[in-house]
Amino acid sequence: MKTRFLRLLLSFTLALMLYSLCSIDAAADDLDGDHELSVALDSSGARLFAISGTISEGDEYISADNVLYRIATVQNGTAIAERVGEEEMPDVSWLDAGEAQAVFAAEEAIPTASDSTGEADKKKLIAMYVTHSDESYIPSDGTQSINGQGGIYDVAREFRDALQAQGVDVILDESTHLPHDSGAYRRSRQTAERLLQKRPDAIIDIHRDGIPDESEYACTIHGENASQVRLLVGRSNQNSAVNREFAKQIKAVADKQYPGLIKDIFIGKGNYNQDLSPNAILLEFGTHTISKERALASTELMANVVNTTLYGKETSSAKSSSESGKAAAQAGNGEAKGSMTGIIWMLIAVVAGVLIFALVQTGGGKAMKTKIGRGMSEMTGGLFGKKSGGNEA
Amino acid sequence: MSIGMILLLVLALLILFGVLQRVLDRMALTDRQALIGVAAIFIGGWLPDLTFGMVTVNIGGALIPLILCVYLFFHAGTAKERVRSLVASALTAAAIYIIGLYFPADPVTMPFDPMILYGVAGGAIAWLLGRSRRSAFIAGILGVVLADVISGVMLWSQGVNQALRLGGAGALDAVVLSGVIAVLLCELFGEIMERITTGRADAPHEDGAIEGGQRA
Repeated sequence: MKTRFLRLLLSFTLALMLYSLCSIDAAADDLDGDHELSVALDSSGARLFAISGTISEGDEYISADNVLYRIATVQNGTAIAERVGEEEMPDVSWLDAGEAQAVFAAEEAIPTASDSTGEADKKKLIAMYVTHSDESYIPSDGTQSINGQGGIYDVAREFRDALQAQGVDVILDESTHLPHDSGAYRRSRQTAERLLQKRPDAIIDIHRDGIPDESEYACTIHGENASQVRLLVGRSNQNSAVNREFAKQIKAVADKQYPGLIKDIFIGKGNYNQDLSPNAILLEFGTHTISKERALASTELMANVVNTTLYGKETSSAKSSSESGKAAAQAGNGEAKGSMTGIIWMLIAVVAGVLIFALVQTGGGKAMKTKIGRGMSEMTGGLFGKKSGGNEA
Repeated sequence: MSIGMILLLVLALLILFGVLQRVLDRMALTDRQALIGVAAIFIGGWLPDLTFGMVTVNIGGALIPLILCVYLFFHAGTAKERVRSLVASALTAAAIYIIGLYFPADPVTMPFDPMILYGVAGGAIAWLLGRSRRSAFIAGILGVVLADVISGVMLWSQGVNQALRLGGAGALDAVVLSGVIAVLLCELFGEIMERITTGRADAPHEDGAIEGGQRA
């Protein structure tokens, strides 16, 4: 009977594996996912925004004009967002003053144009990778998805080159993470971990959106055709608050330098590997129906924005700025606050996990107390906890 | 700190406090061996990957867990349990592969992190097959490695020269996490079911045998 059961299981396993092989063609036809489109409306029923994917209750959205919305309900794929209020954006008045920088002002020497020592420049390091390797632009690449390096790598390379031209060292890891399935972020996590060993100041995941309507992203900046850029922050990670501050810093600088370049900030489910670094961000350069040339045109603008956000506005004036100090302090406070929240949640999760298992393992009560007491005693050489006594459960 | 790091921290604390002693006994591991294993996974994760052509193997993320699998496999109680571990691993690999194909690709659309699902699949399959913690660990680890190998081979057959990275994220890789989740889940299932079926709150079965299967 048991042998027959095992044979049955083996047959089932083989059948599952065969099924997996057969389904590869079907999956290859749809490398870029299903492009499920979700729309969010405001309380008056007006269209607020759309995303490729699902909107969930609790997701947040910072509009182009810096209004914060929170998704209250989702019905039949349509989300209703409630207006929370004006989002407080970082103070970037130091841009007008032509003074130093925001994010790294407090902890490092300010690399200004007058700073001719190469040491300061060495500190400018940004890492980039592409999670969804197949993403491409239909008008330019002929397809939305290439089973290899898609058109998105051209955008990433252009972005890298633009930053390098401004004196920023960039490591662009051109590894592919195919297929475009639920394991893509797991594979790109390995790339992100490798890149973070180089201690970059920021790590950027380059994407393009999957909204069919190209007008969602087409824009003109300073008279040039370009593509808007959406910033995406994952809210399911302990760095979420800090990542969000980083995204807001980028948007605040971009709104000043290139109004209209940043489409919005979407704070949605998932972690997008942003739990690995406080300065991790996902950038969506246009959508699959827009021409790649528009996305490429945006890379130089974004390079200016990211460089300014991280390292400040280069100026011939070497004067130290109290305003930039304030901005840095704000960024630092936000980071510390976000990290503290993350640590508290982590501690709650650890204690809850230990308690659940201790309860299940020992049956709770005296047995649990005895077991943990003995463990504490053994760990601390008898300093804490009871050495013996009670029945081991 | 990610969910993976939290899980490993919980695991290390459970071992340190002696709470997992019985699980480790059934896995033929001492507390010290288990802690050395956890430490080796952490440290190994920071060492350079081993490279074999298009395949790279992370020491902490894949090699150490695989060595632990081999150790547990040869310490499995019976030949049947060994067969069950292999069947559970193959089934888990197939399940993970299918999850990869049909689970939503975008995190905003995912109901939860698929990395947790891999461990749940390994734990559930191993528990259904033999209520064995050893099998659960082997299925969780080998299932992810096999699924990655299948995926890599498929890409190569399509002419895509993508490196196959096993356990590349070190201690935080899905390989380690699914093994840990599988064992913890199996233990949680097992203990709850045993308490329901036996009605005993402490040391339900000293000999490890339960109705309809065997414990390990």
